[in-house]
Amino acid sequence: MTSVLSTAERSEQDTAGTQVPKQPSKHWTTAFAFAAGLVILIATGTLQISWSDLPAVPGQVWHYLQLMFASPDWSRLPRALFEMWRSISMAWIGAILCVLVSIPLGMLAALGVGPRWLRIPLRMIFAVIRAFPEVIIAIILLTVTGLTPFTGALALAISGVGQQSKWVYETIESLPKGTTEAVRAAGGNVAEVTRWALWPAAAPSLISFALYRFEINIRTSAVLGLIGAGGVGSMLANYTNYREWPTVGMLLIVVVVVTMLIDAVSGAIRRRIMEGGRARAVATNV
Amino acid sequence: MTTTTALTDTTDDIAARIPPKSRQLWRTLVGISALLLFTIATTIPAIGGINIDLASIVHNWHNGYSKMLQMLQPNFDFLPRTWRPMVETLQMALVGAAASAVVSISLTLWAAKPTNPDGLTRSIVRTMINVIRAVPDLVYATVLVAMVGVGALPGVLTLFLFNIGIVVKLVSEAIDSADHSYMEAGRAAGGTQTQINRSTALAQTWPLFANQWLYTLELNVRISAILGIVGAGGIGRLLDERRAFYAYSDVSIIILEILVVVIAIELLSNFIRKRLV
Repeated sequence: MTSVLSTAERSEQDTAGTQVPKQPSKHWTTAFAFAAGLVILIATGTLQISWSDLPAVPGQVWHYLQLMFASPDWSRLPRALFEMWRSISMAWIGAILCVLVSIPLGMLAALGVGPRWLRIPLRMIFAVIRAFPEVIIAIILLTVTGLTPFTGALALAISGVGQQSKWVYETIESLPKGTTEAVRAAGGNVAEVTRWALWPAAAPSLISFALYRFEINIRTSAVLGLIGAGGVGSMLANYTNYREWPTVGMLLIVVVVVTMLIDAVSGAIRRRIMEGGRARAVATNV
Repeated sequence: MTTTTALTDTTDDIAARIPPKSRQLWRTLVGISALLLFTIATTIPAIGGINIDLASIVHNWHNGYSKMLQMLQPNFDFLPRTWRPMVETLQMALVGAAASAVVSISLTLWAAKPTNPDGLTRSIVRTMINVIRAVPDLVYATVLVAMVGVGALPGVLTLFLFNIGIVVKLVSEAIDSADHSYMEAGRAAGGTQTQINRSTALAQTWPLFANQWLYTLELNVRISAILGIVGAGGIGRLLDERRAFYAYSDVSIIILEILVVVIAIELLSNFIRKRLV
């Protein structure tokens, strides 16, 4: 009986039997891809770039790279290291100030620590600071306080508070609730919960985030130097304006090597801290 | 009686299981003093540290007060003049993200271990990416402006380099840490590494890529807004120009506009991300 079924009926039966789901419609994806492609093409076409010059660009860049790195001018290395230390100092002081402000504020903004009327405005302030590009905050601040490395450090501190505080309250909120409940059951108030339950568990992550802030600041402090806050960025901007390419090459090498070194050291310390933190968490779980 | 023994048992048990706490006082002391020394060294101006000078800030504050007042009164009449530079900023962001997206695919597959078992080429690509990432964005822009001239081109090139660093690092690390049983299947079927990458790894990591590309687009809008400060085109150039003229009410309207655009792009990108991933 089944063998006499028409092919149409049989295929109908097959689809019903094996339950092959229908291919999802790809019309929207295709339409979206086309729209995105079109927008990109229009943006590329109308951008004020003489595209005919583009083939010459690699040659040009290669020419300048040779000028910079064929024989970097090492005679100004002491000055460069001096300025690099200034940038590092800016980054470090900025990181310390940022962390000192953001740990208490971030904790107050964490669910279960601060009261609701404080938590919500604090989070809104953090969000607004995060939305600003760092350099814009620096420009606003530096017009008020003047262009010195110290104000550069202040700019780094303030522009970092938004993100850093967010990390703090997210860390606090993601902690296991057991210790908090234990302290509360023993009659502890919010301050005691913070001191004996939250801080010991969160400290490794918070210190790790603090070091990460320092790494970020190293890059941003060079950028602040470009707009005049001093440090290696200012030196780089000056020598680029003079078109002293061998010195620019030397400065770039210094920036890259020092940045990578600090990343490596700071990364190693962070891993060490986090592993210590993990061992302690295991011990408290027992 | 039995309960007490049980209790002592468990405490003994716990005591046995907890590793001895390292109470090395000198270690803590060395750590803290190293930290203090480093901090002190960063505040000695003679060796390049920064001069913590609160008095000059107080002094400057009177100076800055009037500027601040001006900034609090944004000049909305200036807004029409900002449209064209703002559009250029968005264009730079989009073109830079798109160009780096195209290049990032092959570089990422080169930089991840499962997709490139060859140690030599992998470490070459990774070192290159690390060097690219160690140079801050505005430093690229400054040098590139001096190389290829003022305008949108150095801006796009800066964003391109910056984005490649981010996408290749984040996606290749994600590929490294994921489980790759599906690649075994490709290998078992006798595919070459390129074929395996194309038909399994690429299909599997596509959402990661899409996610990072959107993220770079968001970052690009923020960065391209300030690239103009060093001459790389976009709204930043206008911002720097108005600042040089001490037109702080114009500066504040530009900053407000940047803020609105940055938030709008973030919302848009979140919307697309939810649809896509």
